[in-house]
Amino acid sequence: MPSILSFVALSNGQPTRASLEVLTRCRQLAAQHGHDLAAVVLAPDPSAAADAAQQYGAATVYTVADSSFENALNTPMLGALDAVIEQAQPAVVAFPSTEGVKDILGALAVRTGGAVIADVAEFEIKDGGVEALRPVMAAKFLARTRAEGNPVLISVRSGSYVAEEAPVAGTVEAMAFTSSEAKQTLREVVASVTGGVDLSDARVVVAAGRGVKDDEGKRLVEELAEVTGAAIGASRAVVETGMFPATAQIGQTGKVVSPEVYFAVGVSGAIQHVAGMSNSRIIVAVNNNADAPIFDVATYGIVGDLYQVLPALIAEIKNANGTT
Amino acid sequence: MNFCVCIKQVPDVSAPIQVRDGELVMDAGRVVLNAYDASAVEEALVLTEQHGGEVEVLLIGPERATETIRKALAMGAARGTHLVVPEGTELDSAAVSKLLADHLGGSTYDVIATGKQAQDTDSGLAGAMLAERLGRPYATNAVGLAIDGDTLIVTRQGDAGQEIIALPKPCLVTCSNDMNDPRIPKLKGVMAAKKKPIETVAVSDVPSTSVRVLRYESVPARDPGETIDGEPSEQAAEVVRRLHEASVL
Repeated sequence: MPSILSFVALSNGQPTRASLEVLTRCRQLAAQHGHDLAAVVLAPDPSAAADAAQQYGAATVYTVADSSFENALNTPMLGALDAVIEQAQPAVVAFPSTEGVKDILGALAVRTGGAVIADVAEFEIKDGGVEALRPVMAAKFLARTRAEGNPVLISVRSGSYVAEEAPVAGTVEAMAFTSSEAKQTLREVVASVTGGVDLSDARVVVAAGRGVKDDEGKRLVEELAEVTGAAIGASRAVVETGMFPATAQIGQTGKVVSPEVYFAVGVSGAIQHVAGMSNSRIIVAVNNNADAPIFDVATYGIVGDLYQVLPALIAEIKNANGTT
Repeated sequence: MNFCVCIKQVPDVSAPIQVRDGELVMDAGRVVLNAYDASAVEEALVLTEQHGGEVEVLLIGPERATETIRKALAMGAARGTHLVVPEGTELDSAAVSKLLADHLGGSTYDVIATGKQAQDTDSGLAGAMLAERLGRPYATNAVGLAIDGDTLIVTRQGDAGQEIIALPKPCLVTCSNDMNDPRIPKLKGVMAAKKKPIETVAVSDVPSTSVRVLRYESVPARDPGETIDGEPSEQAAEVVRRLHEASVL
């Protein structure tokens, strides 16, 4: 029976929300087409994530355990995934679209002889191929794209599907890892401090834009994030000032986020930024320029000075949290 | 170190674009050097200015794309190569990387650099595909490059932070536009570029593609939003009330 293989990316040893979204979509497609569903976990210790994958319906979980997967270096990831694909012989391999996945996806397609579509918002199996909808032209348009290959590799933007549990008693197939000729070496990882909540997985995001001009503005953004349990994001313009780290950048060249609530604080809403956040369920925009394009995508628009509006929002949320 | 930077001519995505009968229509027809590739050219020029070596550029495209090679030459690249395909040729990332690999196989450039993605398709696949075909170690999404002896030091933006990776030459790197602000060519550079050599190679055998766009569609509009008026305290109270109603706080 043909199978679908779903790649599970981890954060602190557990599957990321985006990985479970992709796994859920693969389970739907497997049921619809009578395919087997398998997952693959690469980690120093994959056991917890392998259990979690079974909670979301993976009947077979391929695991490869090695300390080199601690950091997403492309050489070991490529070698391990190629071996798992060789073993599992899937028709489709689906990935969450993380930076680690973007790093290897093209090379893996060449190595496996498969076809690939990157960064899709929707995908289905149709007439022996995969059809997907993906944003192009700075997310101004969608391209309905078809790939035929064996396998077809696909990476999926976070927030494209809703993760739903469907536990199965599956099997875990631990595969040996033969360390390959890694020519590149990792010298250092400079982790950034973003307040502890992983941006791509966050239910609430507070994003700062150019309107956030000084330490006081930054403090207000941080306080709003704290009272809402949000991760902090930023537009490219404000990352360039050095006030926020590059890991916080949201948009075409940064991260794609799809939280329940997105607070756009002093963000003008350039198309490159909107490309990274337009999947958010509710967008609250605060900007003193009534003509800012962010108001075209905002669910609730507040035209006003963020230095006055944010303190009021923070007080109101603290108040509501205290009384509910 | 010697660099070959692979560049692409792309439509200006900030110009008006419509979709008609499943096709993109760009009446203005404005085309530009892909911004990510421009950053790769800039970084290669800076590194060769500091450490010696030469920058060449390589482009696949129809005849009119020569102007984009001239742009890179005006920035300071020494020479260009144009792999000419017929106007309207559809190439997927695999086909692009195959044509580039066929041309670059056996070449001795220390570093092959390119943008991390093209502004029009945003696929971000061709760089890693090319590295795999050439058997070169590589890193993607670079936000900083440095040279340390025979090693290229790449700072790449990863998921959890910045990863600093050492690549022995020969290697390949794909560049983010967050790396630098590409120089605007000066008149002297534009004049000099007219005399710089461009080798043209007609592509006789266009690879078949396994990925194709069936049609383009407009992005479904979001539900129209609502402006919340009043004093800041009133605006805040109203928004928080709505967020509680939606059970998201």
